[in-house]
Amino acid sequence: MSTTTSFPPLFPGMLLDAAGRYAQDHAGAAELPGDPVRELGWTATLVPEAAGGVGGTLADLASIVEGLATHGLHLPVVETCAVVPLLLQAAAPETANRWLEAVAEGSAQLAPLCALAATPDEIAVDATHLDIGFELSGRVQGVDASLPATHWLVPATLDGEAAIFLVDAERIGAPAATYRTMEGPRGADFALDGLAVPEAACIARGEPARTALAAATDAALLLTAADTVAALAALVQQTVAHLKERRQFGVTLSTFQVLRHRTADMYVKYLGAKGLVVHCFDQQAQQAPDLRRTLRLAKVSLAETARHCAEAAIQMHGGMGVSEEVLATRLAQRLIASEFRYGDRLSHAAHLHPARAHATPSPSVSNPRTGSAR
Amino acid sequence: MSIDYAAFRRELEAFARASCPPEIRAVVAAGQKITKREYQAWQKILHARGWGAPSWPVEAGGTGWDIRQRLIFEEVMAENDCPPLYHHGLGHIGPVIVRFGTPAQKARFLPRILDGSDWWCQGYSEPGSGSDLASLTTSARREGDDWVVNGQKIWTSHAHEANMIYMLVRTSKEAKKQEGISLLLVPMDAPGITVRPIRTIDGWHHLNEVFFDEVRVSADNLIGEVGKGWTCAKFLLERERLPPANVARLELVRRQVTRLVEEAAQAAAGRRDFSSLQHKLLLCEADVKGARVMMAQATDDLIHQRPLGVQPSAIKMTCADVAQRLTTIALDAVGPEAAHRFLALDDAEDVPAATWIQNYMFTRARTIAGGTSEVQRNVVANELLGA
Repeated sequence: MSTTTSFPPLFPGMLLDAAGRYAQDHAGAAELPGDPVRELGWTATLVPEAAGGVGGTLADLASIVEGLATHGLHLPVVETCAVVPLLLQAAAPETANRWLEAVAEGSAQLAPLCALAATPDEIAVDATHLDIGFELSGRVQGVDASLPATHWLVPATLDGEAAIFLVDAERIGAPAATYRTMEGPRGADFALDGLAVPEAACIARGEPARTALAAATDAALLLTAADTVAALAALVQQTVAHLKERRQFGVTLSTFQVLRHRTADMYVKYLGAKGLVVHCFDQQAQQAPDLRRTLRLAKVSLAETARHCAEAAIQMHGGMGVSEEVLATRLAQRLIASEFRYGDRLSHAAHLHPARAHATPSPSVSNPRTGSAR
Repeated sequence: MSIDYAAFRRELEAFARASCPPEIRAVVAAGQKITKREYQAWQKILHARGWGAPSWPVEAGGTGWDIRQRLIFEEVMAENDCPPLYHHGLGHIGPVIVRFGTPAQKARFLPRILDGSDWWCQGYSEPGSGSDLASLTTSARREGDDWVVNGQKIWTSHAHEANMIYMLVRTSKEAKKQEGISLLLVPMDAPGITVRPIRTIDGWHHLNEVFFDEVRVSADNLIGEVGKGWTCAKFLLERERLPPANVARLELVRRQVTRLVEEAAQAAAGRRDFSSLQHKLLLCEADVKGARVMMAQATDDLIHQRPLGVQPSAIKMTCADVAQRLTTIALDAVGPEAAHRFLALDDAEDVPAATWIQNYMFTRARTIAGGTSEVQRNVVANELLGA
C-alpha cells in the first residue's frame, strides 16, 4: 500500500495545501516570524461574508488545522479562528460586525482568555457590577499566549449567568507567569483581581453568551479531534519511514515482526480514530441533538488512541524517540499534550457517567446529565 | 553470628533521618530530577559512614552486607526520600573494575568512586548502534603507550557533568563483531572530546552526544584484555538490568502517585472521574509486591554466583513497565493543571505538578535505555523457545 493511498487527507483543498506548505517551511522553528495566523488570512475563515469574512465552515478550519498538524507545527488556529469569531457572534449585531470585520482583516488581534485545559464554557472569572461598568476577578491558568493580542475575550459569570467581555490587552496587563507548554508554544497565567472595565466591555450576557460559549466549545472539541487525527496520520508515516530506513543487526527494523505488528496496530487505530472524527463532523453538520455527548466520547477515545500511538512511536524510534529534534517525537508530544486541551479524559468521563464520579460535575453552560449543549 | 535485622533497619532509619540534608530529601520527595550535586553530596555522607558501596565486597571498600541487609538499605533510603546510589560509578563500572581490573586500576579508580570524586558516564550507544551494540564503530588505534580514539557516542546521560567516561571502542576488526571490542576509561577533559546536549521530551538536560577526535588515552586505562571488552560489557549490562534500588524506588513512586491522585480527586470535587486511575494504582501495588520478590531472588542468585538466566531481563521489563504505568497515572492526575504550564519561562515559578509530566516523559526511556524491552523479550523468548 503506498502512502499516498493509505493516508488521504481528511479535509483536502487549497487551505490544507497552504497550511501544509507553511508548516513544512517552518517545522521545528523555535520562533515564528510575525503573526502567521492573521497574515495568512485564516482568522477570516469563520467570519460571515456580511462582516467581510469568508463565510466558511468548521471543515474549512479543519483543513488548516490538518495542514499544520501534518508537519508538527502548532499555531493557535482553534483559539483565534474558531473560538473568537463564535464568541463575537453573541454580541449585538453592530458590535459583532465591527469586531468581526477587524478580526477578518487582522486589524485587531483578539484571543480568548480561557484556560486551554478547560472548555470555553467552563468559566473561571467572576464579574460584578460597579456604579459604572464592571469588576472582573479570577485566575485563568494556562492560556494560549503564543501570538500577540490587542484584545482579550473574557468569559465570566455575571449575576449567576454567562457573560462575555471584550477587554483591551493593556487593561488586562501582563500575565502573572509564562510557561512553555508540553508541545512547545507559550502559555500564560492571568490573575484578574478586581479589574475595572467599562460598561461597553460586556458584549453579551445570558442566553446569547451561553449559546456562543457552547458553540465555541463544540468547535474547539471538533477541531482538536481533527488535529489529533492529522498528527496521528503523520506519526504513522514517520514511523513507517523510520522502520524502513533504520538498520540494526544488519537488517532494517521493518523486518522485525513485533515492530511490524505494532505499526499495523497504530495504523488500524488511526483508521478507527479517523472514522470517529468523520462521524463527529457529520453530527455537527446535521446539528445532532446529542453532539456534545459524541464529542466527549471522541475526546475520551482519541486520548486513549493518541497516547497509545505516541508511546509506540517513541519506543520504535529508540533513543531518537526522546529527542525533540525528531519530527516523530514532536508529533508524539503533540498527541499526548492534545488530550489536555479542552478537557481531559477524566473530566469528559465525569460527564459521560456522572454517577461514577461520586459527585455531580460542576455546572457549565451545557447540560451535565445529557452532555448536550443544545 | 546472627544479624539483628530489625536493629539494622532502625540504625539505617536513624542515620537517614539525621544525615540526609533536608534540601536533598525535598528534591527526591518532589520527584524532581536528581543531579550530580545531590548524588555527590549524599555519596560523600554515605562514604564517611562506611556505607558508600553496599553492593561491593569488603576488600574493594564495600560493606559486605548480605542480600537482606542490602534490600533493607534500599527500602529505608527510599522510604526516607534519600537519593539512590549513583549507578554509573557504583553500580556499573565499579563492579567491572572489581572483577576485571588490575590491582593498579583498582587502587586508582575505586576509592574515587567511593568518595564521589569521580563522576562517570557510559559511552556505549552510537548513532548506528543501539540495540545492535556490537556493531559499534568508534575506534581506538594503538600509538606507543596510548590508544587514540575517534568516533561518536550518543544518548550519553550525565556526560555534561561527568569527569570520566567508560566506553566501548573497536580496537580491531575481527570476523565476529563482538570480538575486537575493548573497554576504555577516558577522562572527559582529554583534548579532542566535545559534548553536545540533546533536547529531550522531558525538558531536563541529561542526554548528550559525545564526539572523539584523535583523543589520546593511556594504555593503562584499558580494562581487561584487548579485544575482549564485550565480556566486560555483558557483565555490566547484566548488572545494569538489576539495580537493587529499582523496586524500592518504585514503591516510593507508587506512594507519591497515590497521594497525588488523592489530592487531585479532592481538588476536582467530582468534576473528573478518577475511578480508572484508582483501579490502575491497585494493579501497580500488586505488581510492585511481586517485583520485590523477583528482585530479592535474583540478587541472592547473583551473590551466590548462581546463573541468573532471564531474571535480569524479566526484572528490567517489569520495573520499566510499572514505572511507566505509575508516571502515566500521574500524568492523568496533573495533566489539566500542568500540561500548559510545563516549563517556567522568564521569571515564572515552576509548577510543582509539572514535574510529574516531566517524569512521565523521562520514563518513556525506561523501555529503551539499557536494552529495549523488545531486546529483553527476545532474551526471554530465546530461553523458552530456543534461538
